[in-house]
Amino acid sequence: MSLETKPRKHQIHREILPNGIILLIVENQAADLVSGRFFFSNAGSIVESPDRAGISNLVSSVITKGTRNLSALEIAEQVESVGAGLGADSSTDYFALSLKTVSTDFPAMLKLIGEIIQFPTFPPAEVELERKIALQTIRSQKEQPFNVAFSQLRENIYGQHPYGVSILGKEDSVAKLTAEDLKQYHQTYFRPDHLIISLSGRLTKQKAINSITEIFGNWPIPDTTLTVEQLPAIDTEFSEKITFQDTQQSIVMLGYKGVGVTEEAYPILKLISTYLGNGLSSRLFVELREKRGLAYDVSAFYPTRLEPAPFVVYMGTAPENTEIAIDGLRQEVERLSQIKLSEAELQGAKNKLLGQYALGKQTNGEIAQIYGWYESLGLGVDFDFEFPEAISQVTPEMIQEVANTYLTNPFISIVRPE
Amino acid sequence: MVQVSTPLETPTLPVKVVQLSNGLTVIHQHISVTPVVVTDVWLGAGALAEPEPWSGMAHFLEHMIFKGSPQVEVGEFDWVIENTGGMANAATSHDYAHFYLATANTHLEQTLPYLSEILLHASIPDDEFIRERDVVLEEIRASNDDPDWLGLQLLYQTLYENHPYKRSILGEVELLMQHTPDLMRCFHRTHYQPENMTVAIVGGIDQESALSIVERTFNNFGVRSECPSFTIDAEPPLLSNRRQELKLPRIEQARLLMGWIGPSAENLEQGVGLDILSVILAEGRCSRLVDELREEKQLVLDICSTFSLQQDSSVFAISALLDTPDLYLVEKIICNHLWQLATEPISAKELARAKRLLINDYIFSTETPGQLASIYGYYNTINCLEQCLSYSATVERLTAEQLQRLAGAYLSPERYASVILKP
Repeated sequence: MSLETKPRKHQIHREILPNGIILLIVENQAADLVSGRFFFSNAGSIVESPDRAGISNLVSSVITKGTRNLSALEIAEQVESVGAGLGADSSTDYFALSLKTVSTDFPAMLKLIGEIIQFPTFPPAEVELERKIALQTIRSQKEQPFNVAFSQLRENIYGQHPYGVSILGKEDSVAKLTAEDLKQYHQTYFRPDHLIISLSGRLTKQKAINSITEIFGNWPIPDTTLTVEQLPAIDTEFSEKITFQDTQQSIVMLGYKGVGVTEEAYPILKLISTYLGNGLSSRLFVELREKRGLAYDVSAFYPTRLEPAPFVVYMGTAPENTEIAIDGLRQEVERLSQIKLSEAELQGAKNKLLGQYALGKQTNGEIAQIYGWYESLGLGVDFDFEFPEAISQVTPEMIQEVANTYLTNPFISIVRPE
Repeated sequence: MVQVSTPLETPTLPVKVVQLSNGLTVIHQHISVTPVVVTDVWLGAGALAEPEPWSGMAHFLEHMIFKGSPQVEVGEFDWVIENTGGMANAATSHDYAHFYLATANTHLEQTLPYLSEILLHASIPDDEFIRERDVVLEEIRASNDDPDWLGLQLLYQTLYENHPYKRSILGEVELLMQHTPDLMRCFHRTHYQPENMTVAIVGGIDQESALSIVERTFNNFGVRSECPSFTIDAEPPLLSNRRQELKLPRIEQARLLMGWIGPSAENLEQGVGLDILSVILAEGRCSRLVDELREEKQLVLDICSTFSLQQDSSVFAISALLDTPDLYLVEKIICNHLWQLATEPISAKELARAKRLLINDYIFSTETPGQLASIYGYYNTINCLEQCLSYSATVERLTAEQLQRLAGAYLSPERYASVILKP
């Protein structure tokens, strides 16, 4: 028996509070700490219009810098004096805050994060500072060739769709964001009926429910409903783009339009991505690095997203090998639509994916993240065993069919010296 | 194989350290709630073990280990580990090379013998050597495209005049092209020997089973070789501010890096003290440099401070991301803070904050078998495991007066290395 076939170790308690908050609790006595993730669904960069791109990220930088009762410094002092971690971040499909404390400090820190979530003030001076830093961070992305290549690829694949822009936003959109914009974002998307609180660590179910009810129980659901905007279609056509930079390596990246997490092809593309580009025994690693010495970094990724996610293979190689790298990556992806994988290859990829999936759920932070995230995407915590189950059902025929449908026409993005 | 000694067993920590009769050190901790077992094999065979012309050998060898042994074909190790849902990886630094295997306890019997086989009996085939050298050259190119990596290399080169800590772990291209498989086999057979190896095994495996499987799988070491001997010259103390500047047209923001040489790993208490000083200076919104330079004066985008414990001498570094015109002023403000640390005791409130942060960081970073195995293996390899196990107690014990003396002894505002990267 292997790691991945064991039943889930932790029991998850799932409660819905009267004001709509979904509370997930994993009692884990292993270490003297509690990790919490506070997800807002229907937020993140997916709800940003092009002229507001980067607003979720800026909210995440400023939200911990002032509430009706506390200044930025007072908040930091409360957190740091007990050696806790408290932060916020935004992603494509959600906005989240996170908390990590030793068990005894959890009630006090929960109270603080409750205040931050419900009553932030977005002080104009803090907005100005963090906006300036966000703009410089956007410019700094150009320093890493990988970021330049991926950014170029993303724009080509997604056009006007929000997935076409980095979570940081664009210089022209971020430059115009004001404290009023951030307040409005908070009023619109921070609401109890879109909040998922996921806790893991040394706590008990009943104490957790009581604490959460005490802090968040009086937060009313707004009268308005949160409307979901129609997203622009992703109807871009094949393209090849090159950016010249004075670098020692070329970054070669091929991207395909994949699917979102709720589609049937999702687990199959996930398995293909693992087969091609995850780990030391992956196809790209063996064929292009081990056998041909073309690259140090050669890999594939296919993120889990609500909307169609990009399927990407890439490598960094000497500039004179750029064309060889494009051909090599392309042939390996196209091979999957031409042949059927052997049972041994397929089973190996499944074992690898499921093993790594299990190894990714070890810390309390990882546990709180994965269940809260699945809930915030609308998949529910059961996705944690539905996904491995779907992986185990994939056949060589399904791989070939999905490769034929999605992985035949790449967008190509290159960063290289002239 | 017989256990000959148990040099360390603390009553409060469930960590067992055993030295086998062949000289191999085994460190074990049982965590019953997880099915994961991590075996992390540490070797005192990093870049410090290289004679200067052999620069890059330790890291290149780490790559070549994965090319198999007489019993294990190229790629077979990777396939066996990943096909059973496990993960393997490796890393090399100046002080060590280590090889990591995470697997379900049910697969340990099947997988661990593969890891010991490739470590103890690496073939280093000639044709694979030539091919893998291209991979290492790509790794060097990729690193050269990373401005932060370049900055750190330059800081170490500026800080050290003699000691091999000044050298890049990846090595120099010219020297790599001169290395031969024979030299590498010599390096391997000299250093991959039991007295130079620590096997940390942590997770869902009891002590008896853990010791038994390590004894069975790590018992047939290869024939010894002997590399040319060499001595490491003592590093003279820094007597002034050594400066380097590098122009990188591709970068958008300037970088300021400042470095100091700290104590050797034997003086872990001083090292812990410098950890505290690092938190006082630049960890968290309330720290002195973040508060003044990022939040109040808004002269930097980011500033951080790190203390890196190393075997022969540690490095304390402060780095900032900023605009070119502010470089001089920021460096001066940082030096003022160092001067203040050496002349005024830290307030009780500040000290309590720093201690809590470090003690909790330790709790937060010892949750998984992988984290624990890595910590035990690392500290044992640089000879201070015992002190590491009492880390939190040492943090608690240090006083404001001791920290003030430490700052005076190590963090001079006049004698340090600075590196500036300019767009």
